[in-house]
Amino acid sequence: MATTTGRASRTARDGAAGAEDSRGHRGSRPGPVRRLLSQHWYAWAMTAPVVIVVGVLVGWPLVRGVYLSLTDATEATVGRTIGVNVIPARYKFVGLENYVDILTSSLFWGRLAWTALWTVVCVGLHYGIGLGLAMMLHRRLRFRSAYRVLLILPWAIPGFVAAFIWRYLFNSDYGVINAMLKAAGLGAVGWLDDPTTAKLAVIAVNVWVGVPFMMVALLGGLQSIPAELYEAAEVDGASPWQRFRHITLPGLRSVSSTVVLLGTIWTFNMFPVIFLITRGGPGTSTEILVTYAFREAFTGVRNYSGSAAWGVIILLLLVAMAVVYRRALRKQGEVW
Amino acid sequence: MRRAISAVTVVAALALAASACGSGDDGGTSAANEKSAAPADPTQISGEITWWDTTRPDSEGPTFQKLIKEFEAKYPKIQVKYVNVPSDQAQGQFQTAAQAGTGAPDIIRSEVAWTPQFAALGYLQPLDGTRAVDNESDYLPGPLSSTKYEGKTYAVPQVTDTLALLYNKKLLKKAGYEEAPKTFDELKKVALDVKAKTGVNGLTLNVDSYFLLPFMYGEGGDLLDLQSKKIVVNTPANVKALGEVADLISSGAAPKPALQDSYANAMTALKDGKTAMIYNGPWALSEVYQGKEFQDRSNLGIAPVPAGSVKAGAPTGGWNYAVYAGSKNLDASYEFLRFMSSASSLATVSGELGLLPARASSFDDPKVKENQDVAVFKPILDTAVPRPWIPEGGQLFQPLLEGYQALLDGTKPEDALKQVDEKYHGIMKDWS
Amino acid sequence: MSTDMPSAATTHTRSYGRQQRSLAGSVLLHGGLLLATAVSLFPVVWLVLTSLKPRDGWLSSELEIFNQPSLTNYARVLGDTQFLVWLLNSVLAAGLTMALGVFVAATTGYAISRFRFPGHRGVMWLLLVTQMFPVAILIVPLYNLMAGLGLLNRIPGLVAAYLTVAVPFCAWMMKSYFDTIPREIDQAGLVDGLTPFGTFWRVVLPLARPSLAVTAFYCFMTAWGEVAYATVFMSQEEKRTLGVGLQQFVGQHWSDWGLLTASAVLIAIPAAVVFLLVQRHLVAGLTSGATKM
Repeated sequence: MATTTGRASRTARDGAAGAEDSRGHRGSRPGPVRRLLSQHWYAWAMTAPVVIVVGVLVGWPLVRGVYLSLTDATEATVGRTIGVNVIPARYKFVGLENYVDILTSSLFWGRLAWTALWTVVCVGLHYGIGLGLAMMLHRRLRFRSAYRVLLILPWAIPGFVAAFIWRYLFNSDYGVINAMLKAAGLGAVGWLDDPTTAKLAVIAVNVWVGVPFMMVALLGGLQSIPAELYEAAEVDGASPWQRFRHITLPGLRSVSSTVVLLGTIWTFNMFPVIFLITRGGPGTSTEILVTYAFREAFTGVRNYSGSAAWGVIILLLLVAMAVVYRRALRKQGEVW
Repeated sequence: MRRAISAVTVVAALALAASACGSGDDGGTSAANEKSAAPADPTQISGEITWWDTTRPDSEGPTFQKLIKEFEAKYPKIQVKYVNVPSDQAQGQFQTAAQAGTGAPDIIRSEVAWTPQFAALGYLQPLDGTRAVDNESDYLPGPLSSTKYEGKTYAVPQVTDTLALLYNKKLLKKAGYEEAPKTFDELKKVALDVKAKTGVNGLTLNVDSYFLLPFMYGEGGDLLDLQSKKIVVNTPANVKALGEVADLISSGAAPKPALQDSYANAMTALKDGKTAMIYNGPWALSEVYQGKEFQDRSNLGIAPVPAGSVKAGAPTGGWNYAVYAGSKNLDASYEFLRFMSSASSLATVSGELGLLPARASSFDDPKVKENQDVAVFKPILDTAVPRPWIPEGGQLFQPLLEGYQALLDGTKPEDALKQVDEKYHGIMKDWS
Repeated sequence: MSTDMPSAATTHTRSYGRQQRSLAGSVLLHGGLLLATAVSLFPVVWLVLTSLKPRDGWLSSELEIFNQPSLTNYARVLGDTQFLVWLLNSVLAAGLTMALGVFVAATTGYAISRFRFPGHRGVMWLLLVTQMFPVAILIVPLYNLMAGLGLLNRIPGLVAAYLTVAVPFCAWMMKSYFDTIPREIDQAGLVDGLTPFGTFWRVVLPLARPSLAVTAFYCFMTAWGEVAYATVFMSQEEKRTLGVGLQQFVGQHWSDWGLLTASAVLIAIPAAVVFLLVQRHLVAGLTSGATKM
């Protein structure tokens, strides 16, 4: 409740000017805080569970992470007492040193470039393939329901299971993909053994995992476009491309803006696909920012401060992206 | 009555020993001692202890479960909770739980390289002078040294291991060889002949740091020079070693190895007769014998790793038992360690699983003598190269693995090693 | 086809009739869909086929579809491993996450859809930012927090962690759906003397069934397939969920893909069932934001 009461008091102060002249009638009219409470208590009550759970489980680690990122804390320098072993805290405040270190390393920029490429390519393919399939399914055709159920199936496979299956399919000696290539008279490819093919492989898996969501979402969008628009356009002699360009795309704008933003966030943070299939390898070639931060945090003596700084940078990147995206949408008259 | 007396004498003797060697302590060990001295009859200690085992649950787990049954029969008031944690996750999970102070097990099967790291972080209970350590002089010196950190004992050894050349005798015979290759040059020649005469691959490499070390040791290289605190990974010897590995692949003696699931692919190739030779250790034998090529066990040859221009050398690995410092049942944990690392328990493990016991006397146990594999591995073990047991030891393999992978993707040996060298300097800032 | 178009706004939608399409068009259309279906199904089919092969059957360099098919792997999973315990834990965790997640997401979504209250924007941003937060970075601090609260190795702790993952997106989705339900309906409820909660519970919620179904599905799937949190929070053997237990089957140095594939099939079945139950609502529920017009 801390958040809501805090906000309430701030707004109450804003309304102080209005309260000035009503001071004399205090007995008959409720004070601003109480008025706000009586007016908004059910809204606050309804959002409170989420705010509290999220605030505690995400907010507290976040605040602590920001603090740690400004120190040189590692697993070895954080104080603790375990049984007979008493270890004093030895870490100190270092200001922005961690951030400077990360932002001046070539590794960060290399990973950022690949993460950006990964996100753009994946979301682009998700959206393109999803839209194509949705438009096909939107037509009246035989077996439509069957197609739809089968096409959504990858969604029903838990992410880690999907990652394991694909790692097996890509296996250079025993994978079925290479077995089929050999049967077709082509040579086997060490899919996960070369930086370029490994990148292609993880993108392919992520596309397989992510298309159903886009397809279903865009199918819903298509179904909500009134048919009269198409009929009118046809009467006016518009070509199929013109109808797509001027009716379908604008009609999908609202749903697209939401799913593209969500898809971008999910892909940017897509941990299991990369971690379980290539472990970031070969070398660090398929490591995206999130998996690299995880590696920093979890190998050897854990670097709490460094990994917290990575986390904060990743979060800032995403927030900045969301803000820019929102601004751009608002200019086009969209609100969400 | 006799038992009680002997227990008391043992405890008293141990207390003396502890006060003699523990003068530099801040009282930690002596406090632990008083506690462990409390029950006169150790079999009357009670409590529940959790043990994280990291062995293969299907083939190795049952042997350890059987030992736990024996332990519980001997110590009726102690219950042991057996938890199997995959070896590639145990280190991380233990660190997470130990630093938080809850959720950690009382006892962990700790890899030799993890032990000094856990000890340096303060997660392990010093065992000097407790009943956990028994007949210390019987332990092999290599495994024993991995349990020490800054003069204190933080674990007791369980098994030790090293690498050998495992080969398919039938395939080598077809290529005209009765014996395994003894040098890198022979290795290449045998592998090429096997490929030419039988059509299957001669040698399959496993892209893993531990498996690269025999090549480096063979040329006289190493990762660190402990005496002078020097990082020696980027040296001409190691460049030569990596050049030889690259040559094995480019010459066709070994196919380009898979980087993902590298271990499993190499093992499968050997089991199915798709390759004639691999490098692997004693832990792999029970799995190799499941393969169709080795239904007749005598078809498997085990030989020392081939020598480079300097020597034949394979790394030392192995596992210890360690006690979590935050354990609520230290006394029961000590008894568990004492039991599990006794010569007889280690002999059971070795006899049944072919792992190499960390005690010299266990090798003389009839159960172990019957196991041919242990007999074959014993002399190889004697030539194994010890690794430096430092807290950073567990962090050295990831950069080396990345260097190995870069080498296979066409990076020149000196450039690959330069990358490794830079990362090592980042990990160990006060080394030169 | 009425099940495809549950929302009133879509009943006027016109699909292109079969009659109008040329043969070539039909071939292209079905060809494209068949190809996509093949790609989406292939890994799953291969998973099932592999699970029917003998123990080491997955490791074969020949392309074989069947290899002495048998249910041995399934018998081993059910008989020799703790699979059923893990299953129970997973069902509990996923079920609780679903029940709580739907309720909480619905109330939050309703509040931010209907009321302009101080903190409204804050809640919206909180939901968005939470979705962005990389799970991998949160694990250690969250572990310490859970340890402090005594929630380690307890299903409620795991459920709380899953709610932080699932609820922000679900609340967002519910909000979009509530936006499409005319406010007049709420006002009618208030006029009839219902409280705001009463209106929400008795009048609006029943109308939001498609979206509730999707939310339920999403919450369930989030918990069902999650591995990272479960791995570190549930270390005790009898508390493990399927995602954690399964990792035992494929380690770095040994793997039993027979067990893994068989249990993966067994895991996918409940997920697919839940999925079939809600799939007809998926289209309408997920994209309600677009039906505003």
